[in-house]
Amino acid sequence: MTLLIGALTLGVILALLALGVYISYRIFDIADITVDGSLTFGAAVTGVLLVKYGVHPLWATSAGFIAGMMAGTVSGVLQTRFHINALLSGILVMTALYSVNLHVMGRSNIPFLGVATLSTYCETMAVQVFGGPETQLWGWTVSSADLTMLLLMLTLVGAIATGLWAFFRTDLGTAMRASGDNPQMVKALGGNVENYRIFGLALSNGLVGLAGALWAQYQNFADVQMGIGMVVWGLASVIIGEALTGATGVGIAIAGAIIGSVLFRQLVAIALSFGLNPNDLKLITAVFVFAALVLPGMMKHVSLRKAQGAA
Amino acid sequence: MTTHAQASAVPQRPLVRLNNVYKTFHAGTVNEVRPMRGINLEIAEGSFVIVLGGNGSGKSTLLNALAGSFPIDSGRIELDGQDVSRWPEYRRACLIGRVFQNPFSGTAPNMSILDNFSLAAKRGKFRGLGWAHSRHLQDELRDRVRELKMGLEDRLDSAIGSLSGGQRQALTLLMATWLKPRLLLLDEHTAALDPKSADQVIALTDRIIAREGLTTLMVTHSMQQAINLGDRIVMMHSGNVLHDFNSEQKQRLRVDDLLSRFENVRRRELLDESAAEMLKSRYI
Repeated sequence: MTLLIGALTLGVILALLALGVYISYRIFDIADITVDGSLTFGAAVTGVLLVKYGVHPLWATSAGFIAGMMAGTVSGVLQTRFHINALLSGILVMTALYSVNLHVMGRSNIPFLGVATLSTYCETMAVQVFGGPETQLWGWTVSSADLTMLLLMLTLVGAIATGLWAFFRTDLGTAMRASGDNPQMVKALGGNVENYRIFGLALSNGLVGLAGALWAQYQNFADVQMGIGMVVWGLASVIIGEALTGATGVGIAIAGAIIGSVLFRQLVAIALSFGLNPNDLKLITAVFVFAALVLPGMMKHVSLRKAQGAA
Repeated sequence: MTTHAQASAVPQRPLVRLNNVYKTFHAGTVNEVRPMRGINLEIAEGSFVIVLGGNGSGKSTLLNALAGSFPIDSGRIELDGQDVSRWPEYRRACLIGRVFQNPFSGTAPNMSILDNFSLAAKRGKFRGLGWAHSRHLQDELRDRVRELKMGLEDRLDSAIGSLSGGQRQALTLLMATWLKPRLLLLDEHTAALDPKSADQVIALTDRIIAREGLTTLMVTHSMQQAINLGDRIVMMHSGNVLHDFNSEQKQRLRVDDLLSRFENVRRRELLDESAAEMLKSRYI
């Protein structure tokens, strides 16, 4: 049960990553690798603020979001003002961020020992709410701190997802969606497509930075390697979500990305508990995304061939 | 001196004024094209100008230069009394409504009809955090889409990409004129449609322009459209205005006259026979 709650919590936290990737990949049609750097950047900034400066976890976490936004803004500026290919801009910013993150952290790993983080807040809150360090859930004994953390993350992600959904229904949000769909049309209707893209990437990477900030606090350390391959992780979540919901509208797609992230983390947890070598995780994720990208087209091809054969 | 000034006094300032506009693409390469070679053109408020010309004559470039799709090399473009030569495309959108040749260019295919019109309702205006689908917009949209008689009023939530080219062009036209533009630019907007849809869209175009009294610049390949529509014809050739027929002259024009003008151009240019065939097949 503890394992399940742990996997759930991580899945919910990384749903923010999935939402960020959804914005860049689905709305702007960019595979934005900045994500790999901005996730760590968010974690690093939050970690340093917590450990070195003793900042309140709420402010430190917000700083993680802002750090991510800054990374996204740089990527957006490279793409729009300097006309650098989207993939290459992502690679440049991600690579640069690796050094930046090392500088910010001062070393490759910061453990959050003996400092107040969202996790420690959850522990104190849990005792007040559930009246003890352990509590019963459907007959299972679980750590009330873990449960509180999960509930807190669910609330947070739920609120952000709702806010995002509402944003994409405003005039600005609609114009941003359209600028990914048909930039020529948006220009003709007076929309500044370049600024929309910069803002979109800032928002996307802000969410990713926030995911990094929360993840670091959940696992109690920030590590310079933690962002590696996370864009593929986000893509996998978005793709699973789409497959499950058949995503047509923004609202469903957002819900799908969250469900996809949670489910993907569960699958990974189950695979690991059955003895999957953790070193193979990224390979399997990449193969999974590859299959998800290629299979639908191949199935169409096969069914077309069959139909032709029948006729 | 005084009498001269009075004699040359213009009754109305033109809405559009192009002054010696030059544009060269791919300058200095083998692909160099010069679609604008010192174009001078004035368009009075409320006039409906048809722009004709062969491939590469610069007619579409003229429209794109007005819309601001690219920066011009030299010269000056005035719109509504303002020098817009250096304005980016999105900024000029507050004055200009556009319909493109390609039905896919004017709408966002994966978004609903309602989404698309909520964008059109903010053409050239600040887009903030206001709700895009206001009650008011939905009601007005349903009424105006019903006027199209295409049965789209009950499909406002379907993606525009699922509609036919003719339906999309009709909606794009409605979007371009949703907020009354100072200038409407139509770039061969029926060229990609089947004849029946093209006729429908042309009828709609004529109706909207007449009702709103829109100043319009319409590029077309169809001589028949050129004869039937508008009150002025501007014929372009190799980056400049070749002929300019005013309303009176235009009324006396027939398709054959226009064709013979093109024929003259052909002789002057000593185009080879195959190019002439190409022109003919396009224009007849």
